[in-house]
Amino acid sequence: MSRFSAVLRKDLLLELRGGESTIALVAIALLVLIVLVFALNPAGGSRDAPAAAGALWVALIFAGMLGAGRAMLAERDNGAIRALLLSPIDPATLYLAKLAASFIFMMVAEAAAVTMIVLFFNLSFDGRLLGLAPLIALGALGFAALATLLAAITGRVRAGDLLLPILIVPLFVPALIAGVKGTGAALAGAQLADLAQWLKILVAFDVLFLTAGYLLFEYVVGED
Amino acid sequence: MFTSIYMVFAWVPTEADQGIVQRIFYFHVPCAWVAFAAFGLVAICGIFYLWLGQQVWDDLGYAAAETGMVFCTLVLITGSLWAKPIWGTWWTWDSRLTTTLILWLLYGGYLLLRAMAEDTPQVARFAAVIGIVAATDVPVVIVSVRLWRTIHPAVLVTRQGGHGLQDPRMVATLLLAMVAFTAMFAWLLMLRFATLRVRTRLAAAARDLNLAYASAAEL
Amino acid sequence: MDAPLIEARGLSKSFGPSPILRGVNLKIGEGGGALIIGPNGAGKSTLVRILVGLSAPTTGSALLFGAASHTLEATHRARIGLVTHQSFLYPNLTARENLAFYADLYGRLHDDGEISRWLERVGLARAADERVRTFSRGMEQRLTLARALLNRPDALLMDEPFAALDLDGVRVAGGLLKEARERGCALLLTAHQIMTISGIEFDCYELARGRLLAIADASSNQIRHQRAG
Repeated sequence: MSRFSAVLRKDLLLELRGGESTIALVAIALLVLIVLVFALNPAGGSRDAPAAAGALWVALIFAGMLGAGRAMLAERDNGAIRALLLSPIDPATLYLAKLAASFIFMMVAEAAAVTMIVLFFNLSFDGRLLGLAPLIALGALGFAALATLLAAITGRVRAGDLLLPILIVPLFVPALIAGVKGTGAALAGAQLADLAQWLKILVAFDVLFLTAGYLLFEYVVGED
Repeated sequence: MFTSIYMVFAWVPTEADQGIVQRIFYFHVPCAWVAFAAFGLVAICGIFYLWLGQQVWDDLGYAAAETGMVFCTLVLITGSLWAKPIWGTWWTWDSRLTTTLILWLLYGGYLLLRAMAEDTPQVARFAAVIGIVAATDVPVVIVSVRLWRTIHPAVLVTRQGGHGLQDPRMVATLLLAMVAFTAMFAWLLMLRFATLRVRTRLAAAARDLNLAYASAAEL
Repeated sequence: MDAPLIEARGLSKSFGPSPILRGVNLKIGEGGGALIIGPNGAGKSTLVRILVGLSAPTTGSALLFGAASHTLEATHRARIGLVTHQSFLYPNLTARENLAFYADLYGRLHDDGEISRWLERVGLARAADERVRTFSRGMEQRLTLARALLNRPDALLMDEPFAALDLDGVRVAGGLLKEARERGCALLLTAHQIMTISGIEFDCYELARGRLLAIADASSNQIRHQRAG
C-alpha cells in the first residue's frame, strides 16, 4: 500500500475508533446554524437564498477551523510526528494524506449542514442542491489545504489556537466570496454555466493553496 | 530623501483644483503601492530564507512586514479620511479598500505570529511560510473582491473619480509622491532592518561568548 | 573502521545563547555499539535527535551512512530505527495495527504472519489485538522496540530505552539488540548510568557539560546485567 494511503487509512481508522472529530464537527455546524437562524430570522423560501448561503459557509468555516487544529493532534500527543518525519515518507505526501483526511471529515459535516440548511431555511430538497456539491467540495478542499498547513504552525506556537482563525480567515476570503455568491445563486436556481465564474475562482484558489501547502509543508514540520 | 518628501508637501497644495480633500489622494495611492509592494518583499524574503537559511533574509522580511504594516494602516486611514467628506461615510466596501483591509489583516497575522512566538529559526521558518502563503493569496483576493463588488454597484460609488487626472501637473505630483513614499519606505525599512541585524548579531555573540566561557571553565 | 554508520564531527548545538553540546565527536561503525551516559539535561536526547536528523546542529555535522542526517534521502531514512521515551504508538489502535501501519510506512511488504512473529518475539502475542491505550508502560516499550526494529535498521538509536522494562523485558530487548548487532546494525544507546546487557559490548561515553568523553571501550566491559533504578 502506498505511504499516502497508509497514513490516510490510519487517520480514518483512528477516527472511526472513537475519534471525536467528525461528531464534534457536525455538532458545531448544527449549533452555528441554530445561532444564525436566530440571528438572521429567515422568513422562509427562496428569498432567503443569500442568507442560507451565508449561513452554510459560516458553518463550514467554524467547523473547519475547529477540526483543522486537530489534524496533527494524534501525532503531537504520542510524538509520532517524529516517527513519521524519520520514515521514508515525504513531508509533502504526509501533507496530502492529512489534508485528505480533513477534507473527508469536513465533507461529512457539510452534508449534515446542507441538510440542516434546507430544513431551517425552508428550502426544498431538489436538483438545485446538486449545484452546491462542487462549490462546497472545492471550498472544503481549499479550506483543508490551508488549514492543514497553518494548523501545523499554530499547533506549535503559544496561544496558537487563537492565532489560527486570525490567519485563516483573511486567507480564505476569496473562496468565501466565491462560495457564498455561488451557493446563493445555486439555491436561487442558477444553472452550472452561471456558476462558472465562482467555480473558476474556487478552482484557482484550490490549485494555488494545494501547491503552496505541498511545497511548504516540509518547512513547517521540522524541529529546531 | 527628506528633501523629496518635503517637496511633495510644498508642491501639492499648489496643484489641487478639485477641492482640498482630493490631495489626500497623493498620500493614499503611494501608500497603497508601498503596502502591496512591501508584502511582496516579505514573501520574496521568505522564499530566500527557506531556500538559503541565512538569517539576514528573515531579518529583512520581518523589517519589511513591520514597515509595510505602517503604510497599510496609513492607506486605510487616508481612505477613511477621504471617504467621509466625499461620500459621507467613514468606510465603503469598494474593491480596493476591501482588498487593502484584507492585506492589513494578513500583515496583522504575520506580525502577531512573530510577536507571540519566540525568536527561533523554527519560528522564522513559520513566518516565512505565512508570508509566502499570504502573498499568493493577495492576487486571488483582488480578483474575487472585484468580482464581488461589480455585482453590487448600488451601495457605493467608485473612488476612481480621482483617476481622471486631467492636469499633467497632477500626474507629475502623483509620480513624485510615489517616488517620495517609496523612498521613505526604503529608509524606514533600512532603519528597522539595521535594528534587527544588530539583534541577530548580539544573539550570535551571546552564543559564542557562552561557548567561550564554557571552554574557559574547563581549563 | 570502514565508513562509520553513525557519526558526529565537531558537533555543537546551542539553543539561543545556551550551549548544550560542544564539539562532540563520535563514530560508530557497522556492528558497533556506543553507550552514552549522563545526567538529566546533559543533552543526550538532543544529541540523539541531531544524529538522527530531526534537528540540525548549530555547527559541525551529524552523519548517517556517510550523509548529512538532516537532509537524508528517503532510501537512507528507511534504514534508521529510533526509540525514545515517546512511544510513537497510536493509543486507539491495536498492537497489530500499529505495527502494520509502520510496516506500510516503511514499505515493507508484510503478511499478518510477520507481524505476529514480531509480537511473539516481544512477548505481546496475547495482547496483539488490544488497543495500546490499555497497555502498561512496559508493554508499550516492548511494542516500541518491535516498531523500531521491524524495518531491520542498519542504525538504531535508542534514548533511555530500558527505563520502563522489567527483567524479562530487558532480556527480550537484549536478545533483539544482539541480533541487530550481528546483522551489522550500528547501535547507540543512552542511559543515566552505566548498564550492561548480556552478551553485548559497548564503547562507553559520558556526556557532561556539553562534551562527550570516552570512558571505556568495549573490550573492557563486564558482561553482567544491572537493573537501572
